[in-house]
Order: sequence, then C-alpha cells, then structure tokens
Amino acid sequence: MMAAAVNHYFGSSIGRKQMVAVTGLLLCGFLVGHLAGNFLLLVGSDAFNLYAHKLFSLGPLLYVIEAGLLGIFLLHLGLAIKLNIENIKARGGAKRYVVKKNTGRGSTFMSDTMPWTGLILLVFVILHLKNLKFGTYYTTIVDGVEMRDIYKTTMENFQDLSTVVLYVIAMSAAALHTAHGFASSFQSMGWNHGKYFKNVKRIGYLYAVAVGGGFSTLAIYCFLKGV
Amino acid sequence: MTINLDSKVPAGPIEGKWDKHKFEMKVINPSNKRKYTVIVVGTGLAGGSAAASLAELGYNVLSFCIQDSPRRAHSIAAQGGINGAKNYPNDGDSVKRLFYDTIKGGDYRSREANVYRLAQVSNNIIDQMVSQGVPFAREYGGYLDNRSFGGSQVSRTFYARGQTGQQLLLGAYSGMMKMVSKGKITMFNRREMMDLVIVNGKARGIIVKNLITGELERYAADAVILATGGYGNVFFLSTNAKHSNASASWRCYKKGAAFANPCFTQIHPTCIPVHGDYQSKLTLMSESLRNDGRVWVSKKKNDNRKPEEIPEEERDYYLERIYPSFGNLAPRDVSSRQAKFRCDDGHGVGPTKQAVYLDFRDAIQRDGREVIAGKYGNLFEMYERIVGDNPYKTPMMIYPAVHYTMGGLWVDYNLQSTIPGLHVLGEANFSDHGANRLGASALMQGLADGYFVIPYTIGNYLASTPLEKVTVEDNAFKDAEQAVRLQTDKILKVKGKRTADEFHKALGHFMWDYVGMSRNEPGLKKAIDGIRKLREEFWTDINVPGDTTNMNLELHKAQRVADFLELGELMALDALERKESCGGHFREEYQTEDNEAKRDDEQYAHAAVWEFTGTNSSPIRHKEELVYENLKLATRSYK
Amino acid sequence: MSSNNDMTLNLKIWRQPNGAAEGKLVDYRAEHVSPDMSFLEMIDVLNDQLVKKGEDPIAFDHDCREGICGMCSMMINGKAHGGYKNTTTCQVHMRLYKDGDTIIIEPFRAKAFPLVKDLVVDRKGIDKVMMAGGFITANTGNAQDGNAILIPKPVADEAMDAAACIGCGACVASCPNGSGMLFMGAKISQLALLPQGQPESPRRSLNMVHTHDVNGFGNCTNHAECEATCPKGISIEHIARMNREYLKAAFTYYEKSRSEGGA
Repeated sequence: MMAAAVNHYFGSSIGRKQMVAVTGLLLCGFLVGHLAGNFLLLVGSDAFNLYAHKLFSLGPLLYVIEAGLLGIFLLHLGLAIKLNIENIKARGGAKRYVVKKNTGRGSTFMSDTMPWTGLILLVFVILHLKNLKFGTYYTTIVDGVEMRDIYKTTMENFQDLSTVVLYVIAMSAAALHTAHGFASSFQSMGWNHGKYFKNVKRIGYLYAVAVGGGFSTLAIYCFLKGV
Repeated sequence: MTINLDSKVPAGPIEGKWDKHKFEMKVINPSNKRKYTVIVVGTGLAGGSAAASLAELGYNVLSFCIQDSPRRAHSIAAQGGINGAKNYPNDGDSVKRLFYDTIKGGDYRSREANVYRLAQVSNNIIDQMVSQGVPFAREYGGYLDNRSFGGSQVSRTFYARGQTGQQLLLGAYSGMMKMVSKGKITMFNRREMMDLVIVNGKARGIIVKNLITGELERYAADAVILATGGYGNVFFLSTNAKHSNASASWRCYKKGAAFANPCFTQIHPTCIPVHGDYQSKLTLMSESLRNDGRVWVSKKKNDNRKPEEIPEEERDYYLERIYPSFGNLAPRDVSSRQAKFRCDDGHGVGPTKQAVYLDFRDAIQRDGREVIAGKYGNLFEMYERIVGDNPYKTPMMIYPAVHYTMGGLWVDYNLQSTIPGLHVLGEANFSDHGANRLGASALMQGLADGYFVIPYTIGNYLASTPLEKVTVEDNAFKDAEQAVRLQTDKILKVKGKRTADEFHKALGHFMWDYVGMSRNEPGLKKAIDGIRKLREEFWTDINVPGDTTNMNLELHKAQRVADFLELGELMALDALERKESCGGHFREEYQTEDNEAKRDDEQYAHAAVWEFTGTNSSPIRHKEELVYENLKLATRSYK
Repeated sequence: MSSNNDMTLNLKIWRQPNGAAEGKLVDYRAEHVSPDMSFLEMIDVLNDQLVKKGEDPIAFDHDCREGICGMCSMMINGKAHGGYKNTTTCQVHMRLYKDGDTIIIEPFRAKAFPLVKDLVVDRKGIDKVMMAGGFITANTGNAQDGNAILIPKPVADEAMDAAACIGCGACVASCPNGSGMLFMGAKISQLALLPQGQPESPRRSLNMVHTHDVNGFGNCTNHAECEATCPKGISIEHIARMNREYLKAAFTYYEKSRSEGGA
C-alpha cells in the first residue's frame, strides 16, 4: 500500500485538488496581467496596439507561453470536472436527500455554484478567443510599424449591447468563482492558519471584485465610447 | 455445584505481591501465542485495551461490540478524569495514599491486594495514554496538569477537558484499529452476546446475535474475556448509555459465574434532574463542577421563591456545614444521600422539588466568568441545551442518579471468574471499588485490567490449562444456540399489550424507590415481591412485533429487560441480606445518630457472592471474607 | 412535567426495510410533545405507539444520549443533526420547534455510508480510515514518563480541539461531496501536532488519505459545511494541516525495501 500511496499523489483526492488550487492561483495571476494590459484601452488605440504588438513579437516564446497557459487551463478544467463527477457519485447519486439545506455557516452561493460558474467561464473563454484573438484582423501603422489593430477589433466587439451584457455576466461568474476559489486554494495547499486566514479570505473577495469589476468596467467603457 | 472462591492472592508483603506473582506466572513463548484465540466481549476501556494488548502480544483476538464501531462504548461518556499516583503536584500523593483513599472510599469492602495493584499500575496508565497521543491538559511549561476529585485531599486527576473518557477510549480504540489492520484482531460490530459456551467446565466460546440480520452466530476460542460494563440500566433511568445492559454478565451468572455484591450501586450526586415520564436517560454533570460550585437548598421548607430571591442567610450550604474538611467535595455516596435527605425533608428545589442547587455565583465573582467558562464551558452549554436555563446567571439544579455499579461478576486476583477461562474486566467485575467508587477511578480500573493485568494472567491461564480442541459444531455450541433460540421464540410468541420500555420503567420504579439511595427491610421485601410479579406479567403480556429475520430493535430491548427483571430481584435480595450500611448501600435501620452509614465489620466484612441454582430456586449466598492486613478498618469520616 | 405547552408535530420519516429495498418518506403525527423532550425521546414516544399497534418501530442509531458517543445520526429538515451549533441529534430539544411544525427526518447519506434500515446507516468506512493510520504505534508497556514529553499548552489545546471528533459522520452527510476530510483531517492533525505522533506522521497521512479515497468518500472542495455541522465544532484548519502534511509526505517520504533478517 505504501508505494501505491506515494505514486497516488497525482491520483489522490488531496493531490488533485492541490493541482486544481495551484493552477487556479496561476490563472488568477494571469487575469491580473490581462486586466493590467487591458487598462491601456483607456490610454488610447496606439498604446493598446503597441502593447499587443510587443506580445505578438515574442515569436516562438509566445507560443510556449500560450501552450503553458492552455495546459494550466485544461488541467484546471479537467481535474475539476473529474473531481466533480466523483463527488456526485460519492454523495450517493443525484437524489441524495429529499430535503437538503445549508446551515448558512458553511457553504456559500459561491462555493455551491463553482461547477456552474466554471462552465460559464469555459464557454466565455471559447467565445472570447473566437471574437478577439481569432476575430477580424485589421491592420494599422503605429510609429511607422505595421501591426494588428486589435484595438479596433475590441471596440467593434463591444458595440453590441447583448455582447456587453453577456460579457458582464461572464465576469460576474469570474468574480463568484474566484471569490471562493482564491481562499479555497490557500486552504487546499494547507495555508490556513488561524492568524492569517481571515485576511486571505478578505484578499480573495477584494480580488474577485477587482477582477470582475475591472473587466466589466472596460467592456462598458468600450460600449459607451463607440467606434 | 460448589463454587471455588479462592481469591488466589499471592502471599507476602502487599508492595511485592504483584511483582512476585508476575514472576511466578507461566509465560507463553511468542511463536506459541499465535496458536491461541481469545474472545473479548466489549470494547470500552477495559475490553479495548485488553484486545489491543493481547493482539500486540501475538494472540488472535475476536472482539465484539454492540455499537456500529468499537469507538462508541460507554467509557466514552466519562467526563472528569483519571487518577494516577504520580505526585506531580508535590502534594504528598503516593501509591500507598491512592490505595488508602480507594479502600476508604469503598468503605472497606474491597480486596486489599487488588486495590494495591490498581494503585501501582495507575502511573503506567498515564504514561501509556500519553504515548498513545491522548491530549491531556497541560500547563504552559508543557507539563501535565492535575485537578481534584471527591474523596481525596490531593490533586491526582489527569484530564482532557470534560472529555477524558472519550480521549482515553479513543486511545484504546486506536490501538485496536492498529491491530485490526494487522489482522490480529477480528472485529465484530453490532453483535450482542447471548450466551457463554462451556466445554468440559471451561469457557470456550460465545453465542452472539447479529443485530442487523437477527441471526445467531457461534464463536469458539481458548478463553473468553467479558468487559461488558455495569448494570446500572436496571433502574431504567441512569447515566448509562441506552444499549448498556447486563445480559452478557447475567447469562454467565446463569452458566455458573458467581455474582458479587449486586446491591453495591453508585448514585452520582450531580446529574440533571428528571423532568418527565417520557425521559429516556439521565445526564451527568461532571463531579469536577464541585471544585467551584456550591451546593445549597433553602432553609425554609417548600420554598417556592426563585433562587436569586433567597437571601444568603436563608441558604443552607449543607455539604459545607456537615463536612467542613471536604465540603462540596465529599464523596459521591455521601453527597447523594445528603441531597436526598434535603428533598425528603421538603427543602427540594425546582418544579419537581426533587433537586438541589449547584451554584457558581461565588466562583464567578471570585475568578470571573472567563475562568469559569474555561473550566466548565462545555458542561454549562450542555446544561443549557437540556434544561433551557443559563447556569452563569441562575444556579444549576442537580439531583443524584444511578451512575455506576461496584458489584459484578466475582473474580479472583487473576480476574478470572468462578468459571475457568472466563475472565471479567472493568465495571463488569466486582473487584476494586468495594461499596463505593471514587471519582476518576473507573477509567483507571478499566485500563489497569486491560493493559496491565489481563495480558499477564491470561497467559498463565492458557499455559497452565489443558485445552481440548473445540469447534463451533460441538454439541455445547448447538445446545447453547438452541436455548437462546427458544427464549427468543418464547418472547416473540407472547404478543401481549405492554412494550419492553413499559416493563423496564415499572422495574425502574421498584429499583429507585426501594433499592436506590436508601433501603429498608419492608421496602426491599416489597421490591422482591413486586419484581417477581412484574416478571410473571412480562412473560404473559410483553409485546414484541416482528420476527428474528432482520434488525428487530424491540426484540433486543425485550431480551435485555427480561434479564434485568431477574437481576433486579437479586440486587434487592443482596441488599436485604446485607444488614449494615456501607458506601452506596445505605440501610435505614443501620445508621449513626447523624445519619451516616453504620458498618458492621463483625458480620459483614465480606463480599457477598451469589451462586445461581436455577430459575425457580433461590440463589445461594457465599462469602469471601475480606482480610485487612495493611489498613485498619476504621469508621469512614469526611468531617 | 406535562404542561399545556405541549405540541403536535407532523413528521415525515424515511422508512426503508433494508439497503436493497425501496424507501420512502412516511407521515406520522407526534402528539403531546413536551418542549423539554429531547428529539430522540419524541421518537421513542412515537415508537412506543407503533409497537402497541404491532407495527415495526422506526430504526435509528443512538446510545449515550449525551452527545459524545457519535451514534445518533439524522438529517433533520435537511441538516445533519438539525444544523444547530455544536449539537448532536440527541441533544436537540423540542423547545426549538413550534406547535404544528413539519419535520422531515432522513438518514445520513453518502456512498460511503450504505443504508442498513430506516435511519440507520453503516459507517464502517470511518473505522477503515482509522485502521490505515489513525493511531500511534505505542505498544502497551513501551511508554516513558508522561512528563518526559513536554507539550506546550496551546499545542495540547489545539490537539484536543481536533481529538474531540466523535466519528458521527455528520461531516460526510452534510458535505455536498460526501467527503470524509474533516474527521480524517482531525485525526491526522491531532497526531501531527503532538510530538508523540511525529515518527509515523508522513506514513499516516499517505495511508489514511489513500484509504479514504478508495472507500467511497468524495473530494473536499472547501465548502466548510462540515465545520458548520460538526457537533464538536472542529475547524477546517485541521483539514489544511492534513493537506500540508500530505503534500510534504507525498514528495519526501519513502521506504526502501530492506531485508530485516539477522543472526
């Protein structure tokens, strides 16, 4: 049993949830970078396009980074789905109780909806990539250099009210997901200490509001500014 | 059949008896131990520690428990603590003092050599439990903390909050789980022992009922250890768990194991009072509360004022008044009796007038609410949940309740009953507490028996006894199973009108009224007649629905009550025959001028040992004379 | 004292003859329920009436009735042990309910707790996890003096918080994932805090977690519903300590196979 137990880290309940936690925290980090970059939208089209161009000109390195990001995302997603399927079985099937209520001191709306907010984010990411990264390819010239006009693609994308509404909904899902996920990841890694954990939770909530609110604000800004 | 009451106490000075005996007993070499199988019934402190220790030695152990897991045995409910003669607080404790306190606390009705051994191994128990990870309370410096308990003037009680029994039991349970995983203990959960199987005069197996399927099962072994606890539930209302019962002991008694001192029951002074007919059990409030709580009643009779309205000078702090040197920490039997006297005189408090106050007002004023909450917070919460009153604001109401039975199956120094091969440990035996047990000593005795006595003595028994090959197909097993089956069918066939609980409650009333805190001859006779009549009614009017093919909880209950109805009579008979007062046995005819127990050492310095002679004939009362070589018989005083 | 505060309650109780049979909620009426009754006493009275009618009484687990043995196990109105803070089912008293209330009573459910009958479930999984390492290997007779091991009070207190687990399984029953991490975490944490538990700490967490996983318990997703329903108020900090222990053990601990023969 011993050797099996060691090898089972990556198949064990705790090992896998720790990987969900680590990948989740890495994705949280990515969102911060993404949001910071997006704020260049406020500065203007040139600033935003230059920033995007810098990223594009990383060349092969960009592919490595993107592949890594994709890997983290898929690992997070895959493990979470697998854990959830197992959990449905472990609770004894879908019809577990005739009545089941939360005490109000444990589970929250955020924790209960993790699989759903996660799925919303999955759909969102696919659409988001399709509409922006793989969206209409305009070009522009900044400082004498020809580059992709991703600014234009972005602004166009947010001219449709329904897109903005869906975007805000997705970002609310992101906020809910990270509001539980952030502190939860710390707990999973074992970083719950009576002295600090309340603050970890606070930071998690702050993070959720900042990221969800930040992205939503930018989408609304684009809509209001017009092309 | 004649019974052999040779106590087998080794000769020599008391300090060296156990060491000498350990050397003189035969040992079995490690590779031969695995050829022996031992049955252990019960998984409390005694049974759990015995099963784990024997398995560690290499024996094959079959362990049986009535609950769904060995971790739930009723030892778990002990709150206050466990005694050990460590003398860590430097207050003059020693093995000898613990020995003396226990003998005195038991009102000089226990066997000196057993008690001395208990005091000797008490220290090993503390060490053993610490090594198993029991989180005993500690000082900031990291050293173990102690507190005081009734009947003692030193602090020798080790504790883990108000959950000492739980922590010790989980220690024993974890040791068991370790040996289950190693395949040395085979665990049988949800099983109830229905009978003992005797082959060629030796205990060789048991018949058990599978409580889920209702089937009877047979198990054979080389020796049987009974650690099935006490019989306090004969009173219906007691602090025992609902499944605690006397059937295993009682069936052994009917197979020839003598029963000693059945009338010695302990009534614990600090329990939550009874509040209704529907009540199913009584809840104990730890004796440790008496370290800070003051017990009182109103000096006025039938006083209906609220406790806050009764001025200081109209309060009678009767324990402090009568026993100035021990005060509120007077021993359990004494404190219980005084509470009863107050209520009988019309000073009782609360809606039923069957209660006294346990007041923390002064302690809170002295130490602050924080300190008191730190010590007793969980107990206060429990009280509030059950009663609905807040003990920080208004005094607790308490009343005595049946808690522990000192009597039990007779055992010799090796813890063997009068049936060879049947060993009895813990509360199920009679050995160490005499007529009254001191607080924090039950845990000590259970673990002493299981960890440090039986592992030696069972080896001696197995090594020195010729054991024929026995299988569960032998006639003795078939016959025993058949007898159980017949009794079961008989109960199921009655289909009368009254439930098992109704009979149990009726028995409980006889026991509490006449065989309870104080007893007298007419009352005891009345109880005997009443119980006999009730027993006849039981066999014509019991109603048990269902059959034996599944989990029939009502049948289990009825079978236990059938045994209680027989045991109750023996308790009354024993109380009637013991014409003296001692410890928990208070005969109104034998008391001093100030209502204290009056012993008769001339006539009754013995254990009364009862031999079963048949369902319809009277049992025979034998005596094991108690010889005091080291302590002088003295009047027990706590004044 | 029976009083005029007595209540009448509508009970819906899960009845199921055995694990293989179909089960359903059955309606019962409990009359003359005193506010001073415990929840289990209320069911005792109902059972007495059923027995008198020759019906099979409702099977439920219970024993000590003072909140420590961990035997009682009911979902009351969708919450384990009724969902009151630090309270087992046996310590729930009827004064918490009002005349005319409807109370739904179901067994603890999880894949790891197969149903036995009515409200009785089989919680052997808890013992199996304990068997895998919920102990300190200290055979009888090995112990040194209790005071030879110094344990600072805050550490002993923290270990005691974890050790308070009564193994009732409310954590599993209330966990949306049927996970047993709280009772397991409590044991691993208790023994990891204490110096006596150190020598086999890594082995313990690896083996226990593995056994937990293969016995049908689910994965923890940090809802903390276990902490909220735990009748002993055990904190999920102990789960975190287990996670830490497990992580450390998984990446650092291994045993070479060696021959232990000798002369």
